[in-house]
Amino acid sequence: MSDEPVIQIRNLTKTYRDFWGRKKVQALNSLSLDVKKGEVFGLLGPNGSGKTTTMKLLLGLLFPTEGEISILGKPASDVSKNERIGYLPEESYLYRFLNAEETLDFYGRLFDITAEQRRRKTEELIEMVGLQQARRRQLKEYSKGMTRRIGLAQALINDPDLVLLDEPTSGLDPLGTRDMKDLILQLRDQGKTVVMCSHLLADVQDVCDRIAILYGGELKELGRVDDLLKEQKETQFITSELSDDAVAEIKAVLQKHNASLKSCGQPTSSLEELFLRTVQRSKDRPGQRYVPTAESGADSTSDASPSEETAESSS
Amino acid sequence: MSLQPVDFNLLIGATQWVIVFGSFIGVFLLVAMATSFPMYGLAGPGRVVAGALHGLGEFLSPSPRRVYAIAMLTYKESIRKKALLVFVVFAVLFMFASWFLANPSDRPDMQVRNYVAFVFIAINMLVLPVVLLLSCWGLPEDIRIRSLHTVVTKPVRRNEVVLGRILGFASVGTLILLIMSTVGYVWIQRQVSSDVDLFCRVPVYGDVTMIDRTGNPGLGVNVGDIDETRSFIEGGTRAAGVWTFPLNEKADTIRLESRFEAFRTFKGNMDRSLRVRYVLVNEAKSLRVPLPTFEVDEFGTNETEVARKQTWTDEQTLKTNEVDIYDDLAVTSDKGTYGALVVHVQCLDRSQYLGVSQGDFFIRLPDRSFATGYIKAVIGVWLKILVIVMAGVTASCFVKWPVATLLSFSVIVIGQVARGFLDKILSGKQAGGGAAESVYRLLTHMNDTATLPENPLTSTLQLFDHGLQHGLWMVKFMIPDLTSFGMSDWVARGFDVPWQGVMLPSLAVTFGYFLPCLLLGYFSLSLRELEAK
Amino acid sequence: MNNLTSRQRKTSCVVGILVLLVPIVLLGMPASGQGEASGGVLARLRSAHDLGESDLGQIDPTSATMNLVLLGLRGVAVNMLRMDLDHYKDTKNWAELRATTEAVITLQPHYIEVWKFLAWNMSYNVSAEWDAVPDRYYWVKEGGKFSQEGTRRNQDSPELLWETGKVWGQKVGRSDEWKYFRGYFLKDPDEETYRGSVDPDVNPKQMDNYLVAKEWYSKANNAEDRHVQHIMMRALFRSYPTRSQLDYADALQREGKFTGVTVAAWQGGFDEWTGIYGAMEFKAPDCVLHMEANEDDVRQMAADNNVSEAVVQRWLKHYQNTTNYRYWRTRSQSEARAETAEAHELIFDGEQEYRKGELDSAVAKLTRGMGLFAEMLERHPDLAIEDLTAEEGMWAVLLWQKILELQQKPVPETYPLKFLWDHHQGLLGELEDRFNRLGL
Repeated sequence: MSDEPVIQIRNLTKTYRDFWGRKKVQALNSLSLDVKKGEVFGLLGPNGSGKTTTMKLLLGLLFPTEGEISILGKPASDVSKNERIGYLPEESYLYRFLNAEETLDFYGRLFDITAEQRRRKTEELIEMVGLQQARRRQLKEYSKGMTRRIGLAQALINDPDLVLLDEPTSGLDPLGTRDMKDLILQLRDQGKTVVMCSHLLADVQDVCDRIAILYGGELKELGRVDDLLKEQKETQFITSELSDDAVAEIKAVLQKHNASLKSCGQPTSSLEELFLRTVQRSKDRPGQRYVPTAESGADSTSDASPSEETAESSS
Repeated sequence: MSLQPVDFNLLIGATQWVIVFGSFIGVFLLVAMATSFPMYGLAGPGRVVAGALHGLGEFLSPSPRRVYAIAMLTYKESIRKKALLVFVVFAVLFMFASWFLANPSDRPDMQVRNYVAFVFIAINMLVLPVVLLLSCWGLPEDIRIRSLHTVVTKPVRRNEVVLGRILGFASVGTLILLIMSTVGYVWIQRQVSSDVDLFCRVPVYGDVTMIDRTGNPGLGVNVGDIDETRSFIEGGTRAAGVWTFPLNEKADTIRLESRFEAFRTFKGNMDRSLRVRYVLVNEAKSLRVPLPTFEVDEFGTNETEVARKQTWTDEQTLKTNEVDIYDDLAVTSDKGTYGALVVHVQCLDRSQYLGVSQGDFFIRLPDRSFATGYIKAVIGVWLKILVIVMAGVTASCFVKWPVATLLSFSVIVIGQVARGFLDKILSGKQAGGGAAESVYRLLTHMNDTATLPENPLTSTLQLFDHGLQHGLWMVKFMIPDLTSFGMSDWVARGFDVPWQGVMLPSLAVTFGYFLPCLLLGYFSLSLRELEAK
Repeated sequence: MNNLTSRQRKTSCVVGILVLLVPIVLLGMPASGQGEASGGVLARLRSAHDLGESDLGQIDPTSATMNLVLLGLRGVAVNMLRMDLDHYKDTKNWAELRATTEAVITLQPHYIEVWKFLAWNMSYNVSAEWDAVPDRYYWVKEGGKFSQEGTRRNQDSPELLWETGKVWGQKVGRSDEWKYFRGYFLKDPDEETYRGSVDPDVNPKQMDNYLVAKEWYSKANNAEDRHVQHIMMRALFRSYPTRSQLDYADALQREGKFTGVTVAAWQGGFDEWTGIYGAMEFKAPDCVLHMEANEDDVRQMAADNNVSEAVVQRWLKHYQNTTNYRYWRTRSQSEARAETAEAHELIFDGEQEYRKGELDSAVAKLTRGMGLFAEMLERHPDLAIEDLTAEEGMWAVLLWQKILELQQKPVPETYPLKFLWDHHQGLLGELEDRFNRLGL
């Protein structure tokens, strides 16, 4: 992971207007964040929080109302940036009348790839996503999981530096989810930058280096997953199963150190807690948003108005 | 009714195109700059120019590979979405056609005319709607189901999308057209009785003026025919129609062919038709060489072979001279390599009238094969397909498919059918005035030929109509003139499709609309948020 | 299920549809009008069993298919076609007009008015637009054939049958070009197709046009037994077959044939007029009557209908006047006599002799003709007030007087037709004109 920002978002605001130009929905409000090269970045938020809007603004499918985006050093409106980007849309938007081979061949042709390379890449990707058996079937006959796989394959056809994944695991069975997550990690290992948005927290927790939590179009949390989840005043042990005696002994030890055992049992997914807590807090105190501090990762929220600049630095 | 030659000057057309297209772009840029002021201040115009230049750069450098990929995708899409089912309808039509067309008592020329007309009507009726729907439906559907997202997030320029779509739909249309026209050709050959010759005349049309009964240049007579294409020459007087044919090649005989109309003021001698005479004239040399009189075959054809050498008796000196068409009779003209031949047409029956129009009389060059004309007529349909595809794809770049369909449908209909009406309104020849005036006349039960009373209301209405007419005038320039595209009429009547006046304007219109359509499609797709619904 | 792929299944469906269409074509193809054995199986069966389309109702496959194809928008389509038709007529596109006519009728094969209009349009309107008489005849025939086709597809329509008769009778025999048309009817001008003979679709038995018309009128009468016609009063409608016979005889006279066939034709006409038509019963408001009636018959009819003789007399007179019954009865009776034929012939020949300049012979023939003519008028005084008869008599006298003037001979004080001459001086102006046009 290096410091070089692959994506820089400054003050990004998106307002949807109706036919008469009247304001309808404020989808994004002054969003600023950076994504660094080589990291897996997660955009989290409930439905309608603006994560997909952010993704589409990045891709140039929407035009920002205000603010600026730099992606791979180019403005989002520049088509040539797409040479190095792979995008997996939320649902399957692929051409349903093509089969897997034709799909990959078609998308391959949109890049500067020679026919030979295209054929090799197609083979490789079909094998990678495990669609060898279904390569000649039209996409309309595919199951949801298969469609996600071919979607991912087309996103990787140009060997991109930056991969944008919109809900990569939605609709996949547990096995498929596992495969997808492995794949994402594999991409990171290859040095690619991955930006994904999801509302499946477990998936995000498993693969993301850093996350941003959006709510109502505003950035509520941003930081390293580990840091965000670190409870400063608690310590957690995870052990193999203990006998009652052993537990009693531990309690005694704890007492000796003037500490108490708060809970004992299976650990829960704490990202889920964090997420729910953030959402709840946002509901209770609207207008509060994430303000970067010198050291990121701290649980630092304030009522302050959005700052002009996100002075965020790496850990 | 004869087919009429059309005057078309490519240079004038092209100049007009440049002016109209250039001014549209100019106006567009000026408006963009003006609106950029409040948004960006003084930097606005600069940004507009920069944006336009960037757009132009993108626009001018489409990648053939990507265009091809999108075209192929479009092609596959159409085929796999059962566009070819249209062939089932086609096959059914042709299976049942003979039920309705076969009429053993038909004259051969009518037979050919009806068969050719049927084939082209069938092809038009089947191909054009399919192509229209496909091209208007493709992009909006692509946007609706967001497949286009996966394309434009690749390094694809929007003009490549537009161009690819146009080419894709055009190739589907071409494929359908090719198959249908081949089947149609074979079908015509099989249907037409074996004793009927299929061929294409090659006409050389001339300019025509009239001489009135006193022998002075004037107008023909109007006999009250509803159809005003023909004017009438009074028989037994000095009235004549004067045709000036360009001579572009030398031949030993010149074949003249005509199809005049006879109008009798009384039954007269029913045993024979009206008598007509051609006179070859060179005023400058005072040469008047009358050709043998013949009886007009109304609604049929009169053929006359004129030998190059003609003997001629001077009416004054009664000396018989020999004249050569090219050396003696031809008058100087910049239209023909060997000058021009002037032919006067006279009717010899007193008080009977001969109806003539420019296209009624022509020099017939050696015939070409039926296939030549047929292929040209197919090209006419093909060009129509191209225009429809361009209109449809362009419209679908900025509106949803039902609107796009309606829009391009109207453009086609106005371009093809309502063009005459449009001209009539613009030239003020339409009785009853403009829209507002017509409503006024309707409400007040006023005849459309009665003069409008002069009062503030009517003058306001007329002012309004005047404004409307200016708008209409602009529309006239924007809507393609498709009248020349229907070339099958020529073939159906046994003519080759002329290059000048028919093929050329059709090609010019098609190419003339290509660039503006592409540009409009590119900009509307670029300036549009694909996600916003 | 089966092992076919989706594409194979669809292809086989399409192929199946096309294969199923073949029997439809074979079964349902309409007859082309070339004799009995043309058309599809259904058309031939229909022809063999003498079934009209009105018998079959709407199960005519041709129009039913069309209606299906048009998704029920038949009315709209027909409207558009009719507008096209008008446009083609205005712009004189005859081939298109003919084809559109066919298309209209394919969509509306059971509207008698449509058949009537379209046939009339071709026979009367289109034919008049053409300059050459053979071309005009072609279009008269097109209209007539079209009308025949209409009767074939609507066999029980007395109106269409009557209209067909009218084309072959009145249009061919009475238009300005009748001399040509009647000739063409026996020797078609389209030499190439008919090799100097008749058009078999029109006149297979090679008969006079009026006799062909008579057959159509007879068929119309037969159909009228079962279906009401709305063209005219029934008594007039029923008179047409016989009137055709009389027109036939009259046309022969117009062509200068007075004896032999002509006399026989008149005799046949008289027999039919009095024996068949005169015996037909018609239902007047107060009574049922037949027109050939002497006093005994009148008494009988009064008794049968339970009304007074005066009532019967009144209605009889009304019917006879409307149908011109008495005139045709007298005329045919007198024309059937050899003496009358001779009178006509002598007057006709007299004029021919005059044209040739044979003045003496002309006077001799005219004198004899006038004598016989006068005898005829004595036998049938009713005829003297008929314009045509009076005109012929006056013409003979005028010609005779003019020739005498030319020969500078005095016109005698009395001569056979003097009473006619004195009585019809009003006709003189017109006849003088005609004489001057002879141009001799």
